[in-house]
Amino acid sequence: MDEFQEILQDFLVESFELVEKLDEDLVELESNPEDLELLNGIFRVAHTIKGASSFLNFDILTHLTHHMEDVLNKARHGELVLTPDIMDVVLESIDLMKELLNIIRDTSSDAGVDVAACVARLDKVSGGTGEVATPTVEAPAPQAPEPEQVEPEVAQAETPAQEEPDYDNMDPDEIEAEIERLLQQRQEEDKAKRAAKMAAGESVPEVPVVADETPAPEPEPQAEVAPPPPPPPPPPAAPATPKQEAPKAAAPAKRSPATVEQTIRVDVKRLDHLMNLIGELVLAKNRLIKINDDVEERYEGEEFLEELNQVVSIVSLVTTDLQIAVMKTRMLPIGKVFNKFPRMIRDLSRELNKDIELVISGEETELDKSIVEEIGDPLVHIIRNSCDHGVETPAVRTANGKDAKGTIDLKAYNEGNQIVIQIDDDGKGLDVNMLKSKSLEKGIITEKEADNMSDKEAFGLIFKPGFSTAASVTSVSGRGVGMDVVKTNIEKLNGMIDIESTLGVGTSMKLKIPLTLAIIQALLVGVQEEYYAIPLASVLETVRISTDEIYTVEGKSVMRLRDEVLSLVHIGDIFEVERILDSSEHAYVVVLGLGTSKLGLIVDTLVGQEEIVIKSLGDYLKGIEGIAGATIRGDGGVTLIVDVVALMQMAKSVKTTASIESSTGGSALNEKTKASDYTIMIVDDSKTDRTIMKKALDAMGMTLVEASDGQEALNILKSGDYNFDAMLIDIEMPRMDGYTLAGEIKKYNKYKNLPLIAVTSRTGKSDRMRGVESGMVEYITKPYSADYLASVVQRNVNFKSEFL
Amino acid sequence: MSDKLKQIIDKQGAQQADTGLDQSDDIVQLVGFIIGEEEYAVPILAIQEIIKPFSWTRVPQVPPYVLGVFNLRGAVIPLIDLRTKFGLQPKKQSDETRFIVMRHGDDVAGFVIDRLTMAIRIKKENIGAAPDTMNGDDSMIDGVGQQADKIITILKVNKLLERDF
Repeated sequence: MDEFQEILQDFLVESFELVEKLDEDLVELESNPEDLELLNGIFRVAHTIKGASSFLNFDILTHLTHHMEDVLNKARHGELVLTPDIMDVVLESIDLMKELLNIIRDTSSDAGVDVAACVARLDKVSGGTGEVATPTVEAPAPQAPEPEQVEPEVAQAETPAQEEPDYDNMDPDEIEAEIERLLQQRQEEDKAKRAAKMAAGESVPEVPVVADETPAPEPEPQAEVAPPPPPPPPPPAAPATPKQEAPKAAAPAKRSPATVEQTIRVDVKRLDHLMNLIGELVLAKNRLIKINDDVEERYEGEEFLEELNQVVSIVSLVTTDLQIAVMKTRMLPIGKVFNKFPRMIRDLSRELNKDIELVISGEETELDKSIVEEIGDPLVHIIRNSCDHGVETPAVRTANGKDAKGTIDLKAYNEGNQIVIQIDDDGKGLDVNMLKSKSLEKGIITEKEADNMSDKEAFGLIFKPGFSTAASVTSVSGRGVGMDVVKTNIEKLNGMIDIESTLGVGTSMKLKIPLTLAIIQALLVGVQEEYYAIPLASVLETVRISTDEIYTVEGKSVMRLRDEVLSLVHIGDIFEVERILDSSEHAYVVVLGLGTSKLGLIVDTLVGQEEIVIKSLGDYLKGIEGIAGATIRGDGGVTLIVDVVALMQMAKSVKTTASIESSTGGSALNEKTKASDYTIMIVDDSKTDRTIMKKALDAMGMTLVEASDGQEALNILKSGDYNFDAMLIDIEMPRMDGYTLAGEIKKYNKYKNLPLIAVTSRTGKSDRMRGVESGMVEYITKPYSADYLASVVQRNVNFKSEFL
Repeated sequence: MSDKLKQIIDKQGAQQADTGLDQSDDIVQLVGFIIGEEEYAVPILAIQEIIKPFSWTRVPQVPPYVLGVFNLRGAVIPLIDLRTKFGLQPKKQSDETRFIVMRHGDDVAGFVIDRLTMAIRIKKENIGAAPDTMNGDDSMIDGVGQQADKIITILKVNKLLERDF
């Protein structure tokens, strides 16, 4: 059973690979019907699949491929010229074959597809009558046919007395041997049959294939010549003995010893798991680097540092290499996707009565498997669009002095950490005015927007939902959803789309896609006390501006960036960040680009570029607008990853912007109704000094809070347990001195107006200067009189006289 | 299958049934904790771990009771403040504050509680249904456990872990 499943799996994998190649070859064959090598290659594919499927008892598939083989064989021998009409039939049969293979993959049986019509046509083409008996498979087919079901007949034919071997108890080698033996038997049987038929002078195509019969007789002896198909087609008609051919069909897994296996098929799940582990490792590496930096700072000049440095850099180097290596194992050539386009273009050009040539290059460029899977649909849409709307009909083309044959250029190449897929056509190009008027008509944009629109932005209109430029809706495109889907899909992959177009000359579309999805390069930005990670693929540039470069137009912030006007949005407005810290007069703008649109994101600080591993926020928090996920940073903290697509959407509805706003509020709002509503903090490392100050202020009945150094004072302040009206600060203190404390406090917007009073024995002028610089409003030198201290405090907190 | 083997299997099955009875003896193990003035409890098996508070990252556009997310050995896990969720005033975290990480199926979240009380073994018969007014599928309350000197509200872990915004 397992042996059979394994064979079936190998058969399917091999067949799908072959079929993929087949499409491409057939289209090429049509334009180049004399190419014997191509024809041989195609013939061999049909033959191989036929051989294997007959062994696996897929009679319908065998039946179909058998007739395909006939047609191709005739073509191969020059008895038949492949006209487009014949080609249509052959292509149709290949479609059926694919369908059958899909069904086999899903159900292990080939029942349920009607191939009779197609077979009849094939038969006619190859000169038959068109009347062919079609085998039927009793549906539902009982599970997958097992080797036991294949072999008994053969075994019975030869040695009726032999008991059915117990396959379950055989070890693989024995089974291998058994298969070998049975195959030999079968071949002999075949040969005998063939000889009998030859003798009877029966013409081959008409031979009805009966369900219970073992493989259909080969039409010509050459048919057996096909060697096991390795990915690149072998030299034409390389002769091989039937003995080699048959075991191959039976068990593709078993290779002759000469061809040593160079590849291993690995379950994708294992690779995914490996990728996850690497992700963890990258996080640990980031953390190690951070710790190394900290240690470096603390133990500067120590000997062990160098050693640590070395280890850290080796670990980080190896991790990076490992990551790249694992990433590469997940890479597939994009040719896998490109392969289906020649056929598509062929069908489309026949359908649209256009003459279009597809030129593919860079199909060996590799991309992560998950991306390869996602990229197919968008590309289909784009190419269909180029065929339908881009390339003109031959008549129009010649009238415009172009070659009657249109060309679509599809290429892929690497550019830095991205892969670029470029689709160029030499069609009529995009008409900016037409795009605008169309969008106006459909209410996608307003008149004003249309006037202010650059050509590039106008090109971007084709990606708007509800936009369709075709006057008439064809089956090819023009449902008005296609290009919209393209954009969403590309953005899902963190990719960008760039359109260039010249009217009458052609259109060029560039899709830029990151190489992998799980680990990305990100720009870390800070706003207030929070950090966010922005995928670097969406970052075009960063600029430092002063706040007066920000202009407000219609309630929205904009800035001038070179000769463009860039709309701005503050990251704090998007993510509801509380403005605790005072923003400086400089800000950083991260210019985000997505497809054709741009946005400036104002942030407080740029932290740097880092490799991050994308982690999901889980079910509980999924779908938060503007957040694509989270990552774990070197310090073990969690940083959220910005979803640039959503952010651009959100930016449209955000009105309030940046710097202006809120410096009111704070302590002024609290109405004082009694003396104890006034709260003063006393910061001094000497208990005696604190007691003296307390005594001086106690009389007024204010609430007094003590702290023994700057750090403690800051913590008390941050905890928000009290609402302070003033602080008395000693300068010389352990842990954090008074100047530093004042500096720290003044960083917070909310304490901008909190009076800080220095109480110190330092009397020098420079000390006073430093005090003022760090934000102190008063400077009291020790010793002082209790009354003086009290009056200074009263003055600074606007103490109401009625409480005295 | 040989008779002997069958016997052994039967025996094992019987044993398992026996021990099952012994164990269940209708005792429920819970972990009790305080939020505000009330004592609550959740089944001990729903608790993945109990940890001391550490820093978390705020997440925008969520209700106030979702404090954010934190890193639990490489996994990003939401943190929910039960005080706020139960309509109490937020309180500063103290030395007794704990994060209880609960799991139900694939859903995991951390919950901030004021302090732990103890592990409780309570007989099933001593657990009453939630008061009628609070019953129903939407209720977070699974039942009310009666102990010698007090009653404890037993919470539904799956409800706690359900996103309700």
